[in-house]
Amino acid sequence: MPGPASGAPPRPQEEPKRAGSENLLVCLDPSPFSIPLIRATQRIADAQQAKWFAMYVETPSHDRLPRENQEQVAQALYLAAKLGAQAIKVSGFRIGDEILAFARENQVSKIFVGKPYARRWRRFLGLSLVDHLIWNCGPIDIFVISGEGEEALPVPPGPKPRLRLKEYLVAAGGVGVCTGLAFILFPYLALTNLAMIYLLTVVIISSFLARGPALFSSLFSVAAFAFFFVPAYYSFAVANTEYSITLLVMLLVSLLVSGLTARIRHQARVARTQERQTAALFGMSQNLTAMNSLEELLQIAVEQITRIFDCRVTMLMPGREDKLEIRAGQPFVDDDVREGMVAKWVFKHGHLAGAGTGTLSAVKGIYLPLIASQHVIGVLRLETHQPERILAADSLRLLEALGSQVGLAIERENLSRQAQAARLQIDAEQMRNTLLSSVSHDLRTPLTVIAGSASSLLEGEKNLDADTKHELAQSIYEEARRLDRLVYNLLEMSRLQSGEVKLNKEWNVLEEVIGSALTQLDPQLHDHPVSIALPADLPLVQVDALLMERVIINLLENSMKYTPSGTPLKISGRVQDKEIFMTVADRGPGLPVGQEERIFEKFYQVAPGSARGAGLGLTICRSIIEAHGGRIRAANRPEGGAVFSFTIPLAEGAPILDKHLPEMQKNHRDEADHPAD
Amino acid sequence: MKPIILLIEDDPRIRRFLRASLVTQGYELIEAGTGREGLALAASRVPEVVLLDLGLPDMEGLEVIKQLRSWSEVPIIILSARGQERDKVANLDAGADDYLTKPFGMGELLARIRVALRRAAPAEEDKQEAFYSLGPIRVDVERRLVFRGPEEVHLTPIEYKLLSVLLKHRGKVVTHRQLLKEVWGPSYVEQNPYLRIFILNLRRKLEDDPARPQYLLTEPGVGYRLREA
Repeated sequence: MPGPASGAPPRPQEEPKRAGSENLLVCLDPSPFSIPLIRATQRIADAQQAKWFAMYVETPSHDRLPRENQEQVAQALYLAAKLGAQAIKVSGFRIGDEILAFARENQVSKIFVGKPYARRWRRFLGLSLVDHLIWNCGPIDIFVISGEGEEALPVPPGPKPRLRLKEYLVAAGGVGVCTGLAFILFPYLALTNLAMIYLLTVVIISSFLARGPALFSSLFSVAAFAFFFVPAYYSFAVANTEYSITLLVMLLVSLLVSGLTARIRHQARVARTQERQTAALFGMSQNLTAMNSLEELLQIAVEQITRIFDCRVTMLMPGREDKLEIRAGQPFVDDDVREGMVAKWVFKHGHLAGAGTGTLSAVKGIYLPLIASQHVIGVLRLETHQPERILAADSLRLLEALGSQVGLAIERENLSRQAQAARLQIDAEQMRNTLLSSVSHDLRTPLTVIAGSASSLLEGEKNLDADTKHELAQSIYEEARRLDRLVYNLLEMSRLQSGEVKLNKEWNVLEEVIGSALTQLDPQLHDHPVSIALPADLPLVQVDALLMERVIINLLENSMKYTPSGTPLKISGRVQDKEIFMTVADRGPGLPVGQEERIFEKFYQVAPGSARGAGLGLTICRSIIEAHGGRIRAANRPEGGAVFSFTIPLAEGAPILDKHLPEMQKNHRDEADHPAD
Repeated sequence: MKPIILLIEDDPRIRRFLRASLVTQGYELIEAGTGREGLALAASRVPEVVLLDLGLPDMEGLEVIKQLRSWSEVPIIILSARGQERDKVANLDAGADDYLTKPFGMGELLARIRVALRRAAPAEEDKQEAFYSLGPIRVDVERRLVFRGPEEVHLTPIEYKLLSVLLKHRGKVVTHRQLLKEVWGPSYVEQNPYLRIFILNLRRKLEDDPARPQYLLTEPGVGYRLREA
């Protein structure tokens, strides 16, 4: 039952904190009791709507834990993550310090720990974790939670005695050699210097061997030194009290040195492992972000995991009717359906299971749930002959991290696909709306004018004077023309965009194309003087004359729409870098800054709703120019007005201007002399 | 006697509007809703001009032209939608005389009809003309001289030939192919670029502003037309 720690320093009762503002932390240890501890914390966190962390501090002794304890840690962290906690695993030496440091960093207000199980002597000396936390916690509340059935864990399964006989022999041998050396040097050296040689030996031994043999070597060397070299010789008796101090100091120093060396080696090992894991995770995340389809992503994930763990990897995800299907990786044999059942179980419970684990281990695969923001989206299956290799603390942690990365990547991919689909739909919707509003507006205006003018003519046949009649007829005619152009542009637009238009490219004279465009626009151009500046020797271009004419017409129409009447327009062209560079410039108000590109977009209008057109003209221009391999731009002129420029690539083998063709001339003379008809 | 115009067009609304205008203009209009009917009327009533819609329900416009041309020289004016340039050219090369793109103005239609009627008129009037004048441009057919205002314009023989072919068909569209064939000969019918170059040169010699020609007009995608007077 939760309750404040009995030894908590008395503090004034703080005013109750606002719900939801608290952070809780539960400390896990390698025992089955972590599970009830997590559940208890979760209940409290839920009740308070608090954010909570589950933390496990991995000390050097973690490696020496039996596998089931290591696995309990992994499962406890899984469970915590599943229940909504942020699960954290850190490496450190002093569990209490790591917990408190984390708690302070993350504004944790309450820490939950299991009832202490430290050895009796540590408890007696006040060295248990709970005591440490209580003494050092400052403003943080410490809650000690006891398990319901405590019988299972009075003493944690201590480090399994793993006798490294070989190492002990080496340590003993080292001390033996050192003793021999000391015998040789004994006549020449002072006693303190001999002690130094022993210390050096201890340092060397501890830097190569594990902690046990190192400790053994320090004890053994002190004993050897005392026995052989401290008077009285060949006895552990010490003649002088001064020597006992020497021996004591030597013992302490050698113990300290061996301890420190072991610690450094542990740190180095942790750093190496972390570096390897970081590299693997980094590689994975880089590869995953570069993918743009789910299939690719799964494929890459499977490849990466296969490479890192050197085993058969399979990715299972729910397919139709939520049945798990192999989506990537190696197929596996599942004769008795047990593999599938385990996969299903893992998918349902979000819990590691399979070969080598404590759960459903009678199968060949290890099954890891792929968890994305709180729900399982798939199962990763690994098959190897040595599951313990993968389930070792380090690689399991790496596997979990990779799994969660893959899970998140899959989720991100799914979300981005949904977003993409939604965006496309919105785009299509918007396009349809724009088209409808734009076209209906543009259709309705001329239709209104036509219907109105025609009905005026009908009704007022007698009363209207000739001028008015003419004016009405004129506007009917003009509006009908406008409608015709709109319909034509719409059709042309859809033909161009569907790729239906085949360019009918021929050698054409630009001057003629421009002239033809101007002739067609003649009735509208009376308000705008147009000047043309083309070099007389402008080469012929390979273009579809009708489409190019459309470009000129649309550009001129666009300029006329947006410039005051009376302002001049200028068309010019020149050869520039194997291209013809054409411009249509006006003296109007210019383009809104920043809209120079947007005006080429379909249905874009500078001033929406204005009666100026459907916003298709420039889009058509761009389609046509790009189909010819050119570019079209719009810009403002420094001296005022807008300028539209486009390029037409010059093709090889243009017929040459201003040169007569002799054979044709000759032929002509023949015909001239003998007319055919 | 009123000139008879045969209108082959399946859309009654277009027939109605053309009937109203053409009858007012002093023509007699006979109407057919299908190609077959049109051919029958062309044979029985012998019209001076045929207006042919290209989107007939029963037969291709090209087929109507071919059948009509097999026994008649009556001028045919095609009524077509925009974007059918290839069809237009094919029809013109098959024997149609001119075309109009829907929607067209009445003025344009009447001008085309006038040109067609003049062409159909007794030949001597056309042949004996010694002088043509187009605004400031005058052509002395006899002496093969061309003037622009008071000054003589020097044309190369081929340019003169080109101008004279256009003059012969003045007011009427002449396809690229027809021009090439008549000026250079049948083996040059594909040489559109050269034709364009010569037209450009001719314009530079005859037009005030060659980029905005007033007389030597371009019919986009089809050919050229010399403005009628």
